[in-house]
Amino acid sequence: MKIKERKRDGVAILEMSGQLMGGPDAEAFDETLKTLIHEGCRNVIVNMEKVRWVNSTGLGILISGYTTLKKSGGELKLLKVSDRIENIFIVSKLFTVFESYQDEDEAVRSFA
Amino acid sequence: MSSRISIQLPNRMEFLGVPDAVLMEIGGELDCARRSLEELGTAVIEACTNAMEHGNHLADSTSIEVIIELDDPRVTITVLDEGPGFDFAAWQPSEELMRQRGRGILIMREFTDDLTFSRHEDGRFLVRLVKTLAPAGDDDDS
Repeated sequence: MKIKERKRDGVAILEMSGQLMGGPDAEAFDETLKTLIHEGCRNVIVNMEKVRWVNSTGLGILISGYTTLKKSGGELKLLKVSDRIENIFIVSKLFTVFESYQDEDEAVRSFA
Repeated sequence: MSSRISIQLPNRMEFLGVPDAVLMEIGGELDCARRSLEELGTAVIEACTNAMEHGNHLADSTSIEVIIELDDPRVTITVLDEGPGFDFAAWQPSEELMRQRGRGILIMREFTDDLTFSRHEDGRFLVRLVKTLAPAGDDDDS
């Protein structure tokens, strides 16, 4: 998994690519969020457009990130989740936890 | 179309997507719904994750084997590891929504028609996933 970071209107947008599957991915994601929180940026959008697949360990990474940001007063939202990955969120009932958007403008505005 | 493919994978997480990629390649030749094929692929990724993490405990010296048997439209996938296995009959899904682990079996069960765990005659632990692929046009645009 690769993470490309940019900021827009005070919101961090993390462009993920590859697959989200735990191990080193968890450490990289965790470090990125910790750095953002340290910098005062607590609202994060995870762009999943280029993520081919997610396994249950990868779901755990997103849950961990969601919890970390929530505790620091921020939020983690998802952008451009594919039908394949959305299907996993549905069977695991996590679609009730994560706000998800298909449009970046709308996702950024949702933090206003 | 009927065929059998066997893949031996080193016990390294970066190879988790290989059986899924093979499945997608095979599926391209079948008249099946993309969603159905992706569900099976997701279940196989979970089976391989479990085999590598919980079966082989991420040991470099171990490997897993994935056998894909296609009898269109029914696909049977067997994943074998070198671990001690576990008692599926005693498994209970957790109700804790925000748990960070423990969704693998749930995902496998939801995305297949039949899921069984047993021991192969050669001593390896195996999980077998069976799914009849939905025809193209059934709940998607493929």
